[in-house]
Amino acid sequence: MRPRRPLAGVLPWGLCFALFGLIPLLWALVLSFTSLNPLRPDLTHWVGLANYARALASPAFWHALRTTCIFVVGTLPPTLVLAYAVAALLARARRAEAFFRAAIFFPATLSMVVISLVFKSLYAEEGLLNGWLARLSLPHVSWLQDPALALPSIMVMDVWASVGYYAILLLAGRKTLPPEQLEAARLEGLRPSEIERRIVLPHLRPVILFVVLLNTIRAFQIFIEVFVLTRGGPLESTLTLVYHLYDRAFYHFEMGYASAIAYLLLLFVGVLLLLQRRLLGRGAEAPA
Amino acid sequence: MTARSAAERAAFPGARRRRARADGGPGVYLALAAIAAVSLAPLLYMFRVSFGAGSDLPIAPSDWWAGRLTLDHYRALAAGGPIGRFALNSILVSGVAVPLDLLLSAAAGHALARGRSVGRGVFLALAAAFLILPKQVLLVPLYLLLAPLGLLDTYPALILPHLADPFGVLFMAHYYQTLPSELEEAARTDGWSGAAVFWRIVLPLSGPGLAVVGVNAFLTTWNAFLHPLVLTTSESMRTLPVGLALLAQSEHAVNWGVLLAFLFFQRQIVEGLLQGSGR
Repeated sequence: MRPRRPLAGVLPWGLCFALFGLIPLLWALVLSFTSLNPLRPDLTHWVGLANYARALASPAFWHALRTTCIFVVGTLPPTLVLAYAVAALLARARRAEAFFRAAIFFPATLSMVVISLVFKSLYAEEGLLNGWLARLSLPHVSWLQDPALALPSIMVMDVWASVGYYAILLLAGRKTLPPEQLEAARLEGLRPSEIERRIVLPHLRPVILFVVLLNTIRAFQIFIEVFVLTRGGPLESTLTLVYHLYDRAFYHFEMGYASAIAYLLLLFVGVLLLLQRRLLGRGAEAPA
Repeated sequence: MTARSAAERAAFPGARRRRARADGGPGVYLALAAIAAVSLAPLLYMFRVSFGAGSDLPIAPSDWWAGRLTLDHYRALAAGGPIGRFALNSILVSGVAVPLDLLLSAAAGHALARGRSVGRGVFLALAAAFLILPKQVLLVPLYLLLAPLGLLDTYPALILPHLADPFGVLFMAHYYQTLPSELEEAARTDGWSGAAVFWRIVLPLSGPGLAVVGVNAFLTTWNAFLHPLVLTTSESMRTLPVGLALLAQSEHAVNWGVLLAFLFFQRQIVEGLLQGSGR
């Protein structure tokens, strides 16, 4: 007979989780219906859905949402395709695989702040990239100062930073494929491209779904890159949702409004995840 | 970030069972070498710049060898300045938050894995939901919660939010479910208290699980950015990532020696954590 113990062990963690997780989550929802501004407590009152109405009517909000979506949609396919290709290459390297794997995984071990500072210097007006362009007698490019180029420049950096990590995940997925199955396919006379399409790709489906989900959640919350490289500029061309939220809450102290933005962010991430589940199929569980 | 360290270890087991695999030939190695070079280039670049003078940035490949080599950046690092304080803060925050997180995760994970209570499913479902929750939602309430308690700009503000770690609890609950419970039940029949069972039997068997949670917790606390940025105001309370990012904005040149030190330090700690837990 097992004594029915109360969940005493859960208590310390449960307390922290409630205090710093659940309560803030619910509090943010309540705040989103108020006009809380710590600088003007006299103006704080219940405003109902006004914050949401304001966000949905605000060009800045739509602009931030659009920028974030461009970032997500623009980085996901290249990251995925490159990671898939790199994993396929790694799977075909018998010698020095450990070295290549470590080198390619390396960017994933870097802090995003470090990556951003390095790329800030690469992209600088007098930085490495412009130095090389000058050597090749090509025109100078303002990578981070040109509103048309700033966001793509950040996106390139992000792809560089994520490909290795996802490639290693996909490689791990490939290794769970029984070698006998590949051997049999080869003996049957299937071409490498057919093996890739008919055997490897279906096998990797759950890992790909996991990579897509992970990258979408992560990319939707992009902040450090923008904070370090451009602070939302130039001309707000890199203003993302989280940066907009941060700016509203801690520069303008519109904390009620910022909470509404936070809940809209939550909603978008939720909808995106549901959509992807629909599109990419169900029943695929995360390998982690 | 959360799933990262857990997933990546799946990629590095010494699985050596495939021999039948085809070798790709020179094209594959050439492509891999190019990709590896692109992956490593920024580090090599940083390494080179860290031995440069002032804000000099070496540009052409020829300058990499010909340019001046100095230890200026490392001398500035040794001379102190705010960086030392940032590092100290980061070490303190991770040093307190990670062990506490491990303890709470192990206790809660164990109780959830062995418990038969109704609340169990609710806790696990909530923790799973928090795994994918965009943490920015909690930012404003945490600020408003800590401000009236006088905790803004203090170490508790930097440490406490990390203790609500959903990954640790989920992972440890899963880990204990794979661990047989006979030993614990035998000890309990012998009259051991629940606490004694936990400290003397469960924890000593938790090494591999705690290693994963520890590495994940360390990377989360060490690299945390938005929360520490908002919850601290004075320079002396900044952690390394936040301090470095703000310093790079106020000063013209980045201290490249610091970036390198930051990197290697992180690697050392992660590897130490992995080894210390008997992996």
